[in-house]
Amino acid sequence: MAQQGNVGELLSMLDSPILGVLEDITAAFKDNLICDRGPMLVNSLVDYYLETNSQQALHILSTLQEPHDKHLLDKINEYMGKAATRLPTLSLLGHVIRRQPSWKHKLSQAPLLLSLLKCLKTDTDVVVLTTGVLVLITMLPMIPQSGKQYLHDFFGIFGRLSAWCLQNPGHVAEIYLVHLHASVYALFHRLYGMYPCNFVSFLRSHYSMKENLETFEEVVKPMMEHVRIHPELVTGSKDHELDPRRWKRLETHDVVIECAKISLDPAEASYEDGYYSASRKSCTNLKHHQTDPSASHYIDTQSSYGTSTPYSTPRLTLSQLPGQLPQILSPQSIKLSTEPQQVTIWSPSAVCGMTTPPTSPGIVPSESSQSTSQPYSKAFGTSAVGKGTPLGTPATSPPPCTSDDFVHVSLPSAAATPPKKEDKPDSGRPSLYRQQNVISSDKSLDTSGSKSSVTLSDLPEFLGGLSFEDSAEKDREEDAISKEISEITTDAEHMVPRGGFDSPFYHTNENLSGSQKKTQSVVSSVQGHSLTSEPLTSSLDKPGPESALETPKQTFTPIDKPCGGSGESPAGNREGTSGETSILTPSPCKASAQGRAVFGSGQPPLYEHLFEVALPKTAYLFVGKKTEELLKKAKGTQDKDCMSSTSPVEVLDRLIQQGADAHTKELNKLSLPSKSADWTHFGGSPPSDEIHTLRNQLLLLHNQLLYERFKRQQHALRNRRLLRKVIKATALEEHNAAMKDQLKLQEKEIQALKLSLQKEQARYHQFQEEHEGIVAQLHSQIRQLQHDREEFYNQSQELQTKLEDCRNMIADLRLELKKANNKVCHTELLLSQVSQKLSNSESVQQQMEFLNRQLLVLGEVNELYLEQLQHKHTDTTKEVEMLHAAFRKELEKAKLCVQQQSQRLDASQKRIAELESQLSKKDHLFLEQKKYLEDVKIKARGQLQAVESRYRAQKRITQAFELEILNLFGRLENSPLKKLEDEKTEAAEAAEERLDCGNEGCADTVAGYSEETIDRNGETKPPSTRGSSKGGSNSELSTPEKKTEPEIQQSLGDLHVAGALHYCPTDCRFTPQLQELPWYEVTRVVSQQK
Amino acid sequence: MAHHIVQGHTEHIRDMQESVMADDSQRNFRSVYYEKVGFRGVEEKKSLEILLKDDRLDIEKLSTFSQRFPLPSMYRILVWKVLLGIIPPHHKSHALVMNYRKEQYWDIHHALHVIRFINDSTPQVDVFLRIHQLESGKLPRNLAYPLEPEDEVFLAIAKAMEEMVEDPIECYWLVSCFVNQLNSKHKDSLQQLPKILEQYLNIEDSKLLMHLKACAAMSKLPYDLWFKKCFAGCLPESSLQRVWDKVISGSCKILVFVALEILLTFKMKIIALTTAEKITQFLENIPQDNTDAIVSKAVDLWRTHCGTPAHSV
Repeated sequence: MAQQGNVGELLSMLDSPILGVLEDITAAFKDNLICDRGPMLVNSLVDYYLETNSQQALHILSTLQEPHDKHLLDKINEYMGKAATRLPTLSLLGHVIRRQPSWKHKLSQAPLLLSLLKCLKTDTDVVVLTTGVLVLITMLPMIPQSGKQYLHDFFGIFGRLSAWCLQNPGHVAEIYLVHLHASVYALFHRLYGMYPCNFVSFLRSHYSMKENLETFEEVVKPMMEHVRIHPELVTGSKDHELDPRRWKRLETHDVVIECAKISLDPAEASYEDGYYSASRKSCTNLKHHQTDPSASHYIDTQSSYGTSTPYSTPRLTLSQLPGQLPQILSPQSIKLSTEPQQVTIWSPSAVCGMTTPPTSPGIVPSESSQSTSQPYSKAFGTSAVGKGTPLGTPATSPPPCTSDDFVHVSLPSAAATPPKKEDKPDSGRPSLYRQQNVISSDKSLDTSGSKSSVTLSDLPEFLGGLSFEDSAEKDREEDAISKEISEITTDAEHMVPRGGFDSPFYHTNENLSGSQKKTQSVVSSVQGHSLTSEPLTSSLDKPGPESALETPKQTFTPIDKPCGGSGESPAGNREGTSGETSILTPSPCKASAQGRAVFGSGQPPLYEHLFEVALPKTAYLFVGKKTEELLKKAKGTQDKDCMSSTSPVEVLDRLIQQGADAHTKELNKLSLPSKSADWTHFGGSPPSDEIHTLRNQLLLLHNQLLYERFKRQQHALRNRRLLRKVIKATALEEHNAAMKDQLKLQEKEIQALKLSLQKEQARYHQFQEEHEGIVAQLHSQIRQLQHDREEFYNQSQELQTKLEDCRNMIADLRLELKKANNKVCHTELLLSQVSQKLSNSESVQQQMEFLNRQLLVLGEVNELYLEQLQHKHTDTTKEVEMLHAAFRKELEKAKLCVQQQSQRLDASQKRIAELESQLSKKDHLFLEQKKYLEDVKIKARGQLQAVESRYRAQKRITQAFELEILNLFGRLENSPLKKLEDEKTEAAEAAEERLDCGNEGCADTVAGYSEETIDRNGETKPPSTRGSSKGGSNSELSTPEKKTEPEIQQSLGDLHVAGALHYCPTDCRFTPQLQELPWYEVTRVVSQQK
Repeated sequence: MAHHIVQGHTEHIRDMQESVMADDSQRNFRSVYYEKVGFRGVEEKKSLEILLKDDRLDIEKLSTFSQRFPLPSMYRILVWKVLLGIIPPHHKSHALVMNYRKEQYWDIHHALHVIRFINDSTPQVDVFLRIHQLESGKLPRNLAYPLEPEDEVFLAIAKAMEEMVEDPIECYWLVSCFVNQLNSKHKDSLQQLPKILEQYLNIEDSKLLMHLKACAAMSKLPYDLWFKKCFAGCLPESSLQRVWDKVISGSCKILVFVALEILLTFKMKIIALTTAEKITQFLENIPQDNTDAIVSKAVDLWRTHCGTPAHSV
């Protein structure tokens, strides 16, 4: 309880006017929220906010952290259910969501979303619907993938609201419908941007129904004219675009930009595509181009600030415009509120302008342009055209025409003309503007007075004279501008050459209403004039402000990007200076450099341009600093006008709310310069009602404003990121440059090396030549020396031959000497021999003499002995000789005998051998014979066995026959055929005889067989045996077939015959012929014989 | 002289040995390998042809060969005829002797015809039986006489033989001589066979023997079918003739092993049967699908137990 009380106190103190207390209280709440996890505090805060609409409470609520989100959402959901609190709850939700809390992904699961959808589907209050739709649109990019389950709810809501726009079932004020229409349009963009395939298929199915056809024609079709074909329609599919992977990479602002990309509407569209595609290729060029105009603006502004540079005003004004426009506009509008044209403008700019002089130029104008345009379209029933025109003029050609038309149709001619005049003539009316601009720049806000001096009526005069002049003067600038624009925007119209511009201008001069066909360049150049002229003419035309407002946008969109990164402009400055910063910042190097150059007198940095080359990285920082300085300056100038230094967002919100209050007060005093007000006045509706309407409108406007702010934040986020990319790119460029430098250095080195190489080569050549010379010389020397050597060689050879000759001679001489010596020696030897011989012969002679004497003595002795011997016996020798001869003869005889004996022995031995061999042969023969015999025996035995078995068989056969016969006889005897007996007795007897004989034969054979078996030498069988056997065979033969008794008889007869026949031969012997014949032949022969 | 004679005799013996050796030496050296692998009788045909080329056929060699190797079917009838003495060992007298045989057959055939023991419609086997009876002097008085058990044996063997041999005369002679051989040569040993069977069964599979004894089936085994009819009607002809090869070449022990192998092969079924009658009935009608394998195994078994029959000179 204490705590609750505490909370109550705190809540009451929340809106205290003292800043210190405020901060303390806020801190206390935040502490509480951190400590307390219960829903109580949040609930009380929400209640408090709904009661008091307190900004502090809203601030705290919108910055709630994670654990409290559920309570907050539950609370909001709870209040959403109640019709009374629905609207404030929605706006609270909008505030919370726009903060993009960290728990935004939980939204898709929260029941709040369902109830929001339900509310949008069922509610009939336009204000609630519009607010709800805006909240939904804001929410969609935050929950792209989780929102898909509600896709058909979204589409359903779209269908419902678009139908609502047309049919107006609640019969609410048209003015609300305008808001609703705008929000539906935004929803259309969002849905188409996020889920093109599904959305298109929904559109196809939904508007194919007849009852919806009208809605399509009137509402949806015009919307579709402002979107290009979504690439997903070609490449994607229904499932693919719902794929969570598609959304995973994209942040909220990415989704917003994605949606903006496909829009052709300048109010919605993003030109990033063009920017990217062009900038990627020629980033620096584009920068230059872009910077050119801005630079010139800058110069102009500077000049206008410092000194008066008259001719460059138009762009000057432009640059200043954003900040000053509303101030310029609003007073005028208020003053000239009676104008019929103003009636049409229920635009917030007008409303806001009335009450609040300083507003953010970036946001307010755009909103106003939208809102203002819409009423128009609504009012004149050409919603599509109406919408298209204001937003589309710069981007597309048709809208201008249509706007022309509608201007013609709707507006009074007097009102219609001025804008055209302003637009076109503006370009040709420098002098006038110059003056104005000079003034306006000098005193920024005091211009109203001077401006008012120039009236609409004056314009045509200026037009005629100055259009050419102006164009000529600005040829250069406009060329640059046109280039820039042609690169930025893809519209073909912008590419129209300079000459093309002129001709339409003439036309317009003559035909004021005829052509609003001006290219972007013209617009941009003109805008300043148009804006300034507007106040002059004091006819708050739509086209005027629109075009004026568009220009900032167009210059804004591309240029705004760097703003976030480089500018770092404080939030407070944004409103007032965004226009300036946007222009200043994008031209990082050149703009600043040029600006400095021109600016030079006042500012020191003449060296600035060096930064571009030397320090590309630092250039940005530098530019940032510079721009800040400039901003401060501008602020300084502006500070005079708008003293508000608080956060612009808060200021804006507060302003609008306060303005609403002031407005209600004033409403009673003044008649509003609004058409609806007129209507209400004329319609006679009570003023309270009107107040209510206005309040609602204001609320709506506020919502719209918040939505647009949200969008702008998204853009800012994106811009920051893009700037980072640019910085990276430049860093890379720098790196490239450094690499190029290195490359150059290396090339130089290479060249130096080449030079030294050439030198070395030359030296080498020289050395080689020298070397060759030396070599040649040496060669010649060698040759000479060789020649000498050969000569010497020959000489030495000659000498050698001589030497040899000498040697030979010496040898010969030596030989001769030897021979001579030999001879001498020989002779000496001979001499000594001879002397020896001589001495020998002498001694021999002496001996011979001695021997001769001996011989003589001996001879005499011998003669004496011989004489003695001859006297002795000579007879025994003869006997011995005889004996010898006899013995010799005997020996010879014995030898002969022996020879004869040996010869005989040999012969007999040979004989014996022969005989032995013969004997062995015989033995062999015997053996063979034996074998053969045995063989034959075996063979015979084999055959014999066969025959024997045959014979035995025959015997068996006969036995069988006998048996049979006996059998038959037995039967015969027993049979009654006695009469036959007599006749057959003879035959029977004969048969018996036969049988006996057979038996005898058998016995014989048996005996024969036994004999045979005993005597194995195989005696021939007795003839009786053969006969009997033959007989058997014959008898067998002669008994063919007999089966009956008579036959048997006959067979017996036959047997008898056979037996007779058989017996005959035994006596008379068969002829050998018959014996050889087979038995049947025999029988035949026998029978023949018979 | 005596020396010469002795020398000649030894030469003769050597010749004989060589001719026996030629059996082995002329065999392909791969034949051992063939046998190991399981192809039997690849080379036997050649050696048999060599044997049959001799003018005086060596009956002992032929019988040894027949014991050792399976006979090629194209020479089987010839070998059988020689071994059974239907034709003499001399080639020259073959035609003559066969002619005698033929005449004898027809003579008896005619006689039987005459005494009306047979007629044209009499089945061939009966004709054979009558002829045999007539030849052996056992022809009954008339047709009404019941058949003797030995006649049944003859009929069974004749039926089997009829399937193997085309020519009726050859067939008759083979049957007749085969039966005569069984009755004369193997008569004693045939009676011993059941005992031998029991003995080997005890070695090979005592369990089975126990079972059979337990069922009292040992005495009721179809010994007549196995040993008297020599499996005629029990085994299909293709298997049967391989068994008969051995029987005709003089070994009736093979019959024991065939019986043993039959018992071993159908051991499971026999063990499943518990009564002697059923076992007998089953064994009398054994399935005919795997008999070749049975015979092969039986021959192997016979080899392992009795050794490879060697040629005894």
